[in-house]
Amino acid sequence: MTIRLINLTKSYPSRLGPQYIFRNLNFDFPTENNVAILGKNGAGKSTLFRMLAKSEYPDKGQIYTNKSMSWPVALATGVHPQMTGRENTRFIGRINDVKDLSVYEEAVQDFAEIGKRFDLPVKTYSSGMRARLVFACCVNIHFDIYLIDEATSVGDPKFRRKAREALEVKAKEAGLIMVSHEMDQIREFCTSAIIIEDGQLNYYGDLEEGIAAYME
Amino acid sequence: MSDIVSVSFRSQLKVWKSVCFALFLRELRSQFSDRLGLAWGFLEPFAFIFGLSYVRSLVREGDAHGIPIFIFMLIGMVAIQSFLQPFTKVASAFSKNKPLYAFRQVQPISALLVSAFVEYTIKVIVIVLAMLTIYLLGVTFPVHDPLLLFLLFHLLWIMTISMSCILGIASSYLPEVKKIVGVFTRPLFFISCVFFSLQDIPVEYWHWFTWNPLVHFVELGRYACFESYGDRGVSLQYAFQFTLIVFFFAVSLYHLTWKGLLSR
Repeated sequence: MTIRLINLTKSYPSRLGPQYIFRNLNFDFPTENNVAILGKNGAGKSTLFRMLAKSEYPDKGQIYTNKSMSWPVALATGVHPQMTGRENTRFIGRINDVKDLSVYEEAVQDFAEIGKRFDLPVKTYSSGMRARLVFACCVNIHFDIYLIDEATSVGDPKFRRKAREALEVKAKEAGLIMVSHEMDQIREFCTSAIIIEDGQLNYYGDLEEGIAAYME
Repeated sequence: MSDIVSVSFRSQLKVWKSVCFALFLRELRSQFSDRLGLAWGFLEPFAFIFGLSYVRSLVREGDAHGIPIFIFMLIGMVAIQSFLQPFTKVASAFSKNKPLYAFRQVQPISALLVSAFVEYTIKVIVIVLAMLTIYLLGVTFPVHDPLLLFLLFHLLWIMTISMSCILGIASSYLPEVKKIVGVFTRPLFFISCVFFSLQDIPVEYWHWFTWNPLVHFVELGRYACFESYGDRGVSLQYAFQFTLIVFFFAVSLYHLTWKGLLSR
């Protein structure tokens, strides 16, 4: 049960000609345990991430998977600042085809712990509250794999613990792929690592080994 | 690759429907969230169309080729505003909804169609308001060919949406396009026979005007209301063919570029 990348090529156009991030990449992405994606700035972490979530498509090649994936949960994705937390929640619920919106709404409000401010526009939220809302929206929908892009980094320790517990409950049937630059956070959530370097992926079954290789 | 999850067409359609509905609500909430609310959305275009037509009818009384000036202007204004206003607005739907493409269910075409639907609904409400005012002012008239009018209006919208799609794609690859198009669409207001009739112009100059499909839509719209106005110089066929060409061009362009649009 993996995600399979076949002949993946991805480039971005630029004034200096196309900038290749991946070229004919073949890789089996393990998903049995929680994986951290490590790499320098610009190595292609977020690109890979977005391609896994199908919010972006490769130039050539394919990504095969039989798992349902969340959207790439980052601080700002899909949240409209003019709309209230509740409206945003309902939007995300509708998009993801949630069966019972009012139950979902309640679960999110409960999890995010933002109380009455759930009915205020998101632009009045602090970044921590925004992260809570987005994370709560994501974790209350069932996915096989959750893609999380530093969204938890702004939460306070108490919320982070709650987030981890929620993911641990899910861990039996669901996986986690995470991008972050903060090592203690990665240690908190992940058990293995993938390092992106020069368009190649290397898998480390042991997280510490991966971090050590990355720090070199 | 035997274990690819197969998704039925029906369930895909269902998801698409709920995505469009969600986008529609979002569009309404974000566009009309101030105190003036939804009413402003159609009162403003109505005031513009009605105001300009009414002032024009005060300035020059009488009729133009058998149509009361007020009605004459009204038909022209509704037609031109069904193109000019949505054209740039719908085109920007691609870039405006970019943050939402993080959700793989949201595709640029949904954003475009929803935005077009909002604009279309607004215009229909404006037309209903205009009909109401015509009734209250007591300048009612029997419509000669309602079916033709209906056809023209929807053909015009298909053209508008297709052209918006082309503009939207072009401007997300070349942002400069938008500025240039802005310069070219402004004169359209004055050369599309809104303020005058094609019949006012000597026949030998017609070819300077009839390349413009909007002229055909406007003039045929007047003909559809008043048979005596005539349809000299314009043809439904031209309007139809032009629409068909831009529609297929828009669809193929979108098919080629939609994956690129996501990351632009």
